[in-house]
Amino acid sequence: MSLKSYEHCCSSCIALANLGKIEGVIPILHGPQACTFGNQIGSMFCRPSRLLTIGTTLKKSEVIFGGEEKLKEQIINVYNQYRPEVIVIINTCVPQLIGEDLKGVITEVKEKIPSLKVTYCETGFNQPRSTPLGNDVSWRAIIDVLEPQEMVKGSVGILGRAGQDADSLGCITSLLREAGITVYAFPAGHLNEMAKIIKAEYLCPIHIVPYLTSKRINERFGSKTVYIELPAGVAGTTNFLRGVADLVGNNELKEIADREEKRSLPRLEKIREQFRQKPTKVLLVSGPANETSMGKILAEFGAEVIIVPSMRNAFARQEQDILQKRYGSCIIFHENDFNKVSDLVGLYKPDVVFGDFQARVEVIRDLIPCLINENYLNEYGYDYALDFGENFFENLKQPFFTEWKEMMSRYAGESYV
Amino acid sequence: MSEEEKSRLRQGYKTKSPQLTMKEIHKPSSFEGALWAAQGITDARVIYHAPPGCYLMQHMNSICNEWHPEMYSTLISYAEVMQGTGKKLEEVLEKVVAEKPQAIIIITSPVIEITGDDVQGAVAAAGFEKTVIIRPTLGGTLADGKEKAFIALTELMKADGEKRKKSVNLIGPTYNTFNWRADVFELKRMLSSIGICVNAVLTADCTVDEIVRAPRAELNICMYPYDCGIECAKKMQEQFSIPHTASHIPLGFRESAAWLDDIARFFQIDAKQYIAQEMKSARDFITTLLVTNTFFESTAALSTDNCDTYSVGISSFLKRELGMDVCMASVATDEALDKVFQVCATVLLNPSIDEKKAVLLEKSPTIILGNYYDLKLATDLGFKNFLYADIPLIGYIFSETTPFMGFMGAKHLVQAMGNEIYTKIFIETKGEMEGAISSGEVPWELDAERALGRIAEMLPHFIRSIALKKIHQVADETAVQKKSSVTLGILQEVATKYTPTRFKSKYATIFTDIKDTPLVPDGAEQTEFQMEWDQSAKEMLEMVPDEFVAKAVRETEAYAREKNYGQITTAVVDKYRKKLGF
Repeated sequence: MSLKSYEHCCSSCIALANLGKIEGVIPILHGPQACTFGNQIGSMFCRPSRLLTIGTTLKKSEVIFGGEEKLKEQIINVYNQYRPEVIVIINTCVPQLIGEDLKGVITEVKEKIPSLKVTYCETGFNQPRSTPLGNDVSWRAIIDVLEPQEMVKGSVGILGRAGQDADSLGCITSLLREAGITVYAFPAGHLNEMAKIIKAEYLCPIHIVPYLTSKRINERFGSKTVYIELPAGVAGTTNFLRGVADLVGNNELKEIADREEKRSLPRLEKIREQFRQKPTKVLLVSGPANETSMGKILAEFGAEVIIVPSMRNAFARQEQDILQKRYGSCIIFHENDFNKVSDLVGLYKPDVVFGDFQARVEVIRDLIPCLINENYLNEYGYDYALDFGENFFENLKQPFFTEWKEMMSRYAGESYV
Repeated sequence: MSEEEKSRLRQGYKTKSPQLTMKEIHKPSSFEGALWAAQGITDARVIYHAPPGCYLMQHMNSICNEWHPEMYSTLISYAEVMQGTGKKLEEVLEKVVAEKPQAIIIITSPVIEITGDDVQGAVAAAGFEKTVIIRPTLGGTLADGKEKAFIALTELMKADGEKRKKSVNLIGPTYNTFNWRADVFELKRMLSSIGICVNAVLTADCTVDEIVRAPRAELNICMYPYDCGIECAKKMQEQFSIPHTASHIPLGFRESAAWLDDIARFFQIDAKQYIAQEMKSARDFITTLLVTNTFFESTAALSTDNCDTYSVGISSFLKRELGMDVCMASVATDEALDKVFQVCATVLLNPSIDEKKAVLLEKSPTIILGNYYDLKLATDLGFKNFLYADIPLIGYIFSETTPFMGFMGAKHLVQAMGNEIYTKIFIETKGEMEGAISSGEVPWELDAERALGRIAEMLPHFIRSIALKKIHQVADETAVQKKSSVTLGILQEVATKYTPTRFKSKYATIFTDIKDTPLVPDGAEQTEFQMEWDQSAKEMLEMVPDEFVAKAVRETEAYAREKNYGQITTAVVDKYRKKLGF
């Protein structure tokens, strides 16, 4: 049992941010004022700044008598004013607790407006791992209202982790396309583009998050999910590409994977040399699931890696097995509860910590380098990892910490930490 | 203000907004209020009895704006809520007690407010004496939550010990109150200048010991009387016989002087010399060339409805002491509305973003003071001059250096606003460094010439000539490129593209009017506005046949003068219409 959570935000917030990035979709946040305010301003950090966030902002009387009427009213308002293709209700803790009948609301509204597509996802306290599950449950809700499309034989659907991925899947999809494979990328900036994922014969998640999404696509449209591994870093990306090549019987993709690996290895070797010269222990604490992917990249560089995983679904377990087989004792998954990150810092004595905002302010105050997980998204493919590795030691800003340690010991006394 | 006028202010702009409003997205709730008040107590441990998501959002928001706000949580799951959360709270309390904090403050989340779980039982089981429970209510406001927290904290206060001579408590500043750190710093400086010390700050950056010793102060000062603190001060007066003052908000030079003067009188201190020195410096500063030049012809929109004290204080300061027109203000309560209405004709009560947008477009302020959403809106609408003056923010770096309150605060506010307005408009209206000075002799069509004249009337004098030169020059260049004279169309294109952004929406009406309106025939009476008309009142003139508009304006103004109305509002027009029997 922890005293703090070190994730990025509530699953409601990430669902809002995730859905807010898709043109054609409007989310309605169903919850009380504190929920609306916090999730709205929180989601502004990571989604397009369209100010359109509709909240039902339940008051006390609505908690007692039910907020369903207000929800219906907002759904109709949103539809009349913006004509979205899909409305997704983000059902937060309070309406779940008072047992709001969302299915009933949706049925009733659809009777009034037959062309309306409205669905919902449940967020908040039923998602113990808050942040990444907000992506997964909100996408699953979208899948629920997609119309069937004809499946394309031999095609591959690439499933990312979060809305941000929409702009960074090219490093994977371009290689598949070069090999002549029909590829559908999910997410995308527009609903119609995203909806093509259901045409894929094979779904190949490129992150550990979209387990529920891929399961629902399989249930509704029959696409077959094959989790290969996270295509992050050189080995990860090469193995992923080879896995896809085997899946669809495409030798050209294998050749492309060989070519890319060959191109990347000299740079990787230089990075490994740096890590050999400066042995580095890294603690990565529950990011938006990128603690695992960044840990994977760092382990490939030769760092000693401790990961506090944010996900425990089947994909996450598969990935953990892969990493433990590949890197042995150099990679540790810390699954036990802890009170504070500073306790883990005391336990593992890392040279650098990757954490979210709470961890950053907690750790860096003691003048220990701490990088923010949220800044290291889009971590797919060869070049992201190589660029990250080549600049890793510079980005730690060690001279800054040395300067401040010296200043503090000179002018603030020994007890500054 | 009459009920009719209040009603208009509350409702007037809604009709122009889209049907769907997003009223509340920028308004924190009582839960934020209670948490922010508690977070500021540096050596207490705050436990948010909440699911992880609630905790995360609250903690992250504070981390983005404050220095080191710390809090713990019970991180309750759905299953725990179903089975009762008391045991989880007990377990967390046990861990927190082991840290030997000076006090523990438990704040319940919306979920706990619904389940009504027993918090007191877990606290009793933990047996830690200095534990305070705050239960904010669903639907409560930010101010409600803060006040509830302040009152709950009085449980920690002890009446024993001698009074600390010439000491005060500052009640009101909390974490995430906009600019609290700088304002407290400045007020402490002013008080210290006349020999008064601050015994306790409730609650931003205070210690538990300060709260315990708060009854030793001789006077309580409510820093945000239009928001929170007064109920707590009253309770302390009742319980510990400490008088309180809330009669002045130290915003602007006059009120800062009056605030300090009142406090000095209470302590029988002669502060005249110090105040005189500050006021002389203020006069010297305010009468500098750029201050008067910039402020006299500028207008400000205040969107500070998460801090009514700022709305009341700053609007009065800008209008009375700087000669600036406050063309819009937003507030959260009727009390603040009444007060701000004395210096601003358009006061919005808890407006939605859409409602603010409508008024900003109509009023075209030179500068907007507001929150993150206002900044986004302003940027989207093309208003470049903006100053943060309220929450929510999207992450902002604060220190003690930028007060709004006190003498230094007034100076800082003038400096920040003035530089923002003057520099940006000046730069915006200048030509390119390597651009040509003239395009030669270029003919102008009559409509275009008339329109340029109308544009000129909308520009403040301090930039009028340079702005006109820029527009004139670019219109010439465009006409030369198009091998034409300067037409109304060319001027419109140029005005939209190259002119100070705040005027663009107004320009649009010029071009529509000129296209639609024939020249005034010789001998026809021209409409002359001698008094100030608000936009809604002007719009009512559209119902009047063209040939009678000038007469209607003249006679409505005569009626208003007779009745001593300072400006023409829709209410005035309605009254005059009634008098005429319409």
